[in-house]
Amino acid sequence: MNDIVPYVILGALLFAIGMVGFLSRRNLIVIFLSTEIMLQGVVINLVALGRLHDHVNGQVFALFLFVIAAVEAGLALGLVVLLYRRRDTLDAERWTTMWG
Amino acid sequence: MNTHWSSLVYTTFVMGALAVYLLMPRAGRSTNIAGTLIGMVALALAMFLCADMFVGTSSGNALFYASAVIALASAVKVITDEKPVYSALYFVLTVLAITPLLILQHAEFLAIALVIIYAGAILVTYVFVIMLAQQGGRPACDHRARQPLLAVVGGFLTMAVIAGQMATLPDEQAVIVAAAPAPTSDAPLAEPDNTMQVGSVMLTQYVVAFELAGVLLLVAMIGAIAMSQKRIPSEKLVEPTKPPGQIGREVGPY
Repeated sequence: MNDIVPYVILGALLFAIGMVGFLSRRNLIVIFLSTEIMLQGVVINLVALGRLHDHVNGQVFALFLFVIAAVEAGLALGLVVLLYRRRDTLDAERWTTMWG
Repeated sequence: MNTHWSSLVYTTFVMGALAVYLLMPRAGRSTNIAGTLIGMVALALAMFLCADMFVGTSSGNALFYASAVIALASAVKVITDEKPVYSALYFVLTVLAITPLLILQHAEFLAIALVIIYAGAILVTYVFVIMLAQQGGRPACDHRARQPLLAVVGGFLTMAVIAGQMATLPDEQAVIVAAAPAPTSDAPLAEPDNTMQVGSVMLTQYVVAFELAGVLLLVAMIGAIAMSQKRIPSEKLVEPTKPPGQIGREVGPY
């Protein structure tokens, strides 16, 4: 068990750092990089907890997570490029038309 | 383990949060040096705490500490650096630092897949987009964070509660260990070969999910191609004359 705890704490720390970046940065690309850091934390947790239960399901789940991350990166960055072409800026605060 | 120990844990978290807050890009005078120093102290304190708690538990201790410190430091650089290109490069460093941690956990296939997929493919996409969407000069959105104090307090408060609960409840951890099917040791997971185990589980137990992942990738590819074909006029030309929603109707088919 003691083998696992530092890994889980590290994963949670990476998740927290990614969350702080997601909440506080304004550049759209850096916001998506922050979500990737959160995913890294989740991958570490999955692998560590899978090892705790002594099977590889956690690793398989992490592989599916890679697929989702790749899909997210492709589609989200395509949308970012479209937004950039429309207003010539990457600032997330320029897109606040739905605030009402 | 006791109140003294958990107060040290919380001190570490507060120092880490302060370091991230000071490193955030801001308008006035740069506080990067103070943030770096406090962050280094927080990392050293965290290492001391871990060494105190998990003394002699695993053979890869030195490798774990080195990788964890590099991963955390470069992750903080990703979210605090003013230039998006540097953020992307520091993210590569984070991925490369996480790889040895996965190898220490006997997840060799996952470690290699992580390097190939993240450092090789996804990061190239990010760098491409950063190059495509170059903003002139030094845009305001990069050197001024939005509500950094609230974000840091929220993120690290969540973290401190989770870690404090985990670290101060040894009895329940023992219950979890007892509930686990087999005692965790270093040998059994690596017996047939990690890649073979992952492959056999993925292609038998999770074969439907595997196929669905392929379909998902195909759909995403079609979507990305469709998006890249769409021609959108710059709003600077259209904005004053058209009512909201009109622009979308006038975009030509792709």
